[in-house]
Amino acid sequence: MPKWGMIIDLNKCTGCGDCVTACKVENNIAVVGQEESANGRTMLWMDIITTYEGEFPNVKVRHMPRPCFHCEHPPCTKVCPVGATYLNDEGIVAQIYPQCIGCRYCQVACPITVKTFNWYTPEWPGRMAEACNPDVAVRPMGVVEKCTFCIHRLQKAKEQAAVEKRELRDEDYVPACAESCPTRAISFGDMGNPTSKVSQLKRNPRAFAVGEDLGIEPKVYYLSEVE
Amino acid sequence: MKKLILFGPVFLIIVILAVWFIDGMGDVVQPIQYNHFVHVQEEEIECLECHQYAEDYARASIPNIDECADCHDESELEDEEEMTSDEDIIRQEMKRQEKKILFAYMAQNKKIPWRQVNNVPNYAYFSHRRHVKLGGIECVECHGDTGKQTTPIVRPHETRSMAWCMDCHEKENVSNDCYACHH
Repeated sequence: MPKWGMIIDLNKCTGCGDCVTACKVENNIAVVGQEESANGRTMLWMDIITTYEGEFPNVKVRHMPRPCFHCEHPPCTKVCPVGATYLNDEGIVAQIYPQCIGCRYCQVACPITVKTFNWYTPEWPGRMAEACNPDVAVRPMGVVEKCTFCIHRLQKAKEQAAVEKRELRDEDYVPACAESCPTRAISFGDMGNPTSKVSQLKRNPRAFAVGEDLGIEPKVYYLSEVE
Repeated sequence: MKKLILFGPVFLIIVILAVWFIDGMGDVVQPIQYNHFVHVQEEEIECLECHQYAEDYARASIPNIDECADCHDESELEDEEEMTSDEDIIRQEMKRQEKKILFAYMAQNKKIPWRQVNNVPNYAYFSHRRHVKLGGIECVECHGDTGKQTTPIVRPHETRSMAWCMDCHEKENVSNDCYACHH
C-alpha cells in the first residue's frame, strides 16, 4: 500500500496563493464573506501562514503553505466519537461528512488547526455554484471538513490506470495545490516507495516536519529556506 | 351491524385508494411516454448505444434530441403501417402522439426535460465507468430488466441503500473504505 505524502520547498514558495485558490475551487469550499472571516470562520483547506521578521525597512517575509499533515498518529481520529475521521490504509486521514455529528472534538484535537467547521449552509457568489466540482460532495451545515489530499483525484487515477491495465504511477495522482504551484514548490507522491521523488526529497538535509516533537508523524515535510 | 355492512366496503375502498395514492407519490412523471420495449426488444438497440457514457464516465447520460434524431425524423408520421386489429390501431396512435411530442422538441431545438430517476445523494460518489467497464456488471443487475418495460421509468429498480452497495462490494472483494464512495 502506498503512503501518500507531500514535500513543500519553502525556498521556492513565493506565497502567491495559487495553491489556496486551486484547493478552494477544486474542493467546493464555501466562501464565508468578510464579516464571518473576521470572526475566525474562514474556510481554507490549504492556508499560507505568513510571518514577518525584522523591522521596516529590513523586513523578511516568510510563507508557509499548510495543508492537512495526514499524520501517521493523528490526534483528531482518536477523539472522534462516531468514527467520522480515521486513518485509511493509504495513510490519508479521512473525513466522512455524512458520518460527522459536528461535535468539533477533532477540531480542538488537531495541533495544526487544519479542520474547519461549516457554520452555515455553503453559499457561493453569483453563478459560482454552477461551477462546483461534481466529484466532491458539497458539505452541509454542521460538519467538520479538511484537506483530503484531493482523494477524488486518487480514485479517478486508479480508475484510469485500471482501464489502461497498468500500475498507478506517481505522476497519475497529484492534488490540486501541487498541480497549480507555478514554482513547483509542492511535490507529491508515495512516501512508502524509497525511490519516489518525495522520498528522495525527504532525505534532503533541509527537510523538516512541523509537530514531529508531538509524535504525530506528519506526512507533509518542508524544505527549509536557504539564507 | 347494518352500518358495518354499509360502511365496510366504502372504508375498504378509501384505504385501497389511499395506499395506491401514497405508493404512487414517489413516482416521477416523464415528459414523453418512452417505451424501452420497442427500442430494446423490437429494434434490438443496446443500452450503451443511447446511454453512451456508461463505459467511459461517471454519469451514463440520458439521451436527448441529438441522439433521438439519429434514428427519428418527422417523415415517420406519414408512414402508414398495416393495422389488423383494434389493439394495433390504438398502439400506433399512442406511438404517433408521443412521436409528435418528440418532434415538437426537435423542431424547437429544445432539450427533453427528462426527470432523473436513478440518482445518488450528493455525499456519495458513483462512477458508472468503475462498475460497467472495470467491474463488468451488467446494466440489469442494478437497473432491472428495463428493456421489457413499455412505460417510462418512474422509480428506481433498487432502493440503493448503503448496505446494498456494501454487500455487493464485500461479495466482489472490492474496497469498502468509506473514501471509496464518500469524498
